[in-house]
Amino acid sequence: MIEVSHLTKRYGNHCAVDDISFTVDDGCIYGLLGPNGAGKSTTMNVITGYLSATSGTVKIDGHDIMEEPREAKSCIGYLPEQPPLYVDMTVREYLMFVAELKGVRPKAARLESIELASGRTGLENMQNRLIRNLSKGYRQRVGIAATLLGDPKVIILDEPTVGLDPAQMIEIRSLIHDLSKTHTVILSSHILSEVQAVCDQVLIIAHGKLVAQGTPEELAGRLAARGVIAATALGGRDSVLNALNQIDGLANIQITAEKGNEVSFTASSEAGSDLRAALSKALADAGCPVLSLTGQTMSLEDVFLQLTETVPEAVSDQTEAPAGDRSTEVSGDGADSVKEPDASAPAESDTGSSGQGEVAAASPEDRKPDNDGTDSCSESTTEKSDAAEKEGEES
Amino acid sequence: MKAIFKREVKSYFTSMIGYVVVAAIFAFISLYYTANNLIYASPDFATSLYSTSLVMLFVLPALSMRSFADERRNKTDQLLLTSPVGIPSIVLGKYLAQIAVFGLPVALACVMPLILSLFGSVSFVSCYAALFGYFLVGASCIAVGTWISALTENQIISYLATFGALLVCYMINSIQTLFTSGNTMAFIAFCIILAVVSVLIGLLCKNVTIGSAVFCIGAVALVLLFKLRPAWLLTAFNQALDALALFDPFIDFVGGMFTLSGVIYYLSVIALFLFLTGQALERRRWN
Repeated sequence: MIEVSHLTKRYGNHCAVDDISFTVDDGCIYGLLGPNGAGKSTTMNVITGYLSATSGTVKIDGHDIMEEPREAKSCIGYLPEQPPLYVDMTVREYLMFVAELKGVRPKAARLESIELASGRTGLENMQNRLIRNLSKGYRQRVGIAATLLGDPKVIILDEPTVGLDPAQMIEIRSLIHDLSKTHTVILSSHILSEVQAVCDQVLIIAHGKLVAQGTPEELAGRLAARGVIAATALGGRDSVLNALNQIDGLANIQITAEKGNEVSFTASSEAGSDLRAALSKALADAGCPVLSLTGQTMSLEDVFLQLTETVPEAVSDQTEAPAGDRSTEVSGDGADSVKEPDASAPAESDTGSSGQGEVAAASPEDRKPDNDGTDSCSESTTEKSDAAEKEGEES
Repeated sequence: MKAIFKREVKSYFTSMIGYVVVAAIFAFISLYYTANNLIYASPDFATSLYSTSLVMLFVLPALSMRSFADERRNKTDQLLLTSPVGIPSIVLGKYLAQIAVFGLPVALACVMPLILSLFGSVSFVSCYAALFGYFLVGASCIAVGTWISALTENQIISYLATFGALLVCYMINSIQTLFTSGNTMAFIAFCIILAVVSVLIGLLCKNVTIGSAVFCIGAVALVLLFKLRPAWLLTAFNQALDALALFDPFIDFVGGMFTLSGVIYYLSVIALFLFLTGQALERRRWN
């Protein structure tokens, strides 16, 4: 188990990692996700004891990396971004060296350990090749094999699939999956699909801060600003709207199309809640059969982009949340009319008088959940601007 | 430590450097030995050894240049520093490997006085004392080189800086004669050192006032010393230069004066620079 608390690493005035805290439980694959330069590698380097933290502590299995480095380091197998290989050695020599470095004794145990690690990484036939002559994929495997020696509890891999071809990527991923049966694995990546495919837990880091944590599904679900529901019901506009308005937590009801009695609309639910059942029931109670109903949640990619977005000034303007933008579009019968989201009541009468416009029931109360949903974003923004202020003061 | 030692020695002999160093040192010792002792029939092996000491300046930096610079460039230091091995073990492992490579030609040279003794009487004590001194000088040079190697990640810079530093140590006696002529020279030298130190302190603290204050206080102290006790400055300066004369105790050994203080001097130089190497590695983690 790894406990990282209030970890901060500064390079001069530049803050690479800013007050990160998290706990890694045994037996899971953890993914550190973030754009380039977000502080993933620095975090890993501090956890493994290669760098010292400016402040904060790292405990590995109860051993502080600064106080008891030997005990802590022996629990970790670390593969840095660039595998630390001595190119003038053969694979076997290198693995022997690493095993001895990690204190695997006696020699028989070292040989056994190497045999096992080579077997898992598919290096049996490469034992006597010079590392200099190996391809990138095989070098990566040698690096991974080296982390396995000494049977550490935790394996930390920094961008293990960078620079590999797709086939190798898949191999390495399945290898990582395989490793998770016996080890706790922490890997970093800036590739979303990889993290989504491999990891049990995702930690999203941006600008040196931990902005989100959870399972890939949780992140996609919980952090989705709005779970958008698109549905079509039979029964006319007014009755459908009446039914919808009775559902708690449903906001941004927009009617997208109306063909005779058939009403298509989208509505967004509060973050983390699934209102599809409630919606279907309410419509049925109101005597409006549901023809279609689909829930659309934000993909992890959307969450990632939203969380790691830069430019604090642009995002800090919370009143212009994307939720507001979307509710401004009201479409019907081919004629689009646009109105300001905040001026819902007068706008309603305006569009009503036009005789063909549809109603966007976007009252301030209704929009509240949206703001909650984007809170994670606003928090990180305010923190960012705080940091910027601090930096300004220092200079 | 053992693992690192073994790997380093092996690595020196898989690349050319190990062979080149052993061959160059042994070739030059043999050359002077053949010319002076075998052909000219002098029993004085120590002088032959002394004549080859200049070779060390060229060859030993080549041995030490890669020790840490190369690790850093290839990022293999990440493996060492994240393994359950302490920094002292890493430094010692690497240092002892270099000593082992350098010790090989010295060990081979141990046979030379024995061969010489076949042809007449040879003072074994003076021969082996000189050889021991030769080994200690080399070990000190390697320690200096190891430290410089830990400061940079470029092998060429490491080589040149080590060579330069050793050259200054080698020439320090002739440099010293320039200054014995007057107290003023010593005063100027101290002023320059003070200015450099003040600038460094100012830069480290990022504070002009502190740097200037250090310089002013130091300058006042220096001027007072220069007015009141000019001889002190000169002796202090000479002592400082004496400490840099890495080859002096060896010259004493060659001259037949085997002193314990000389041995202790070399051992402290080695310990100091290995300590500094450890500190350089440690410091890198913090920056």
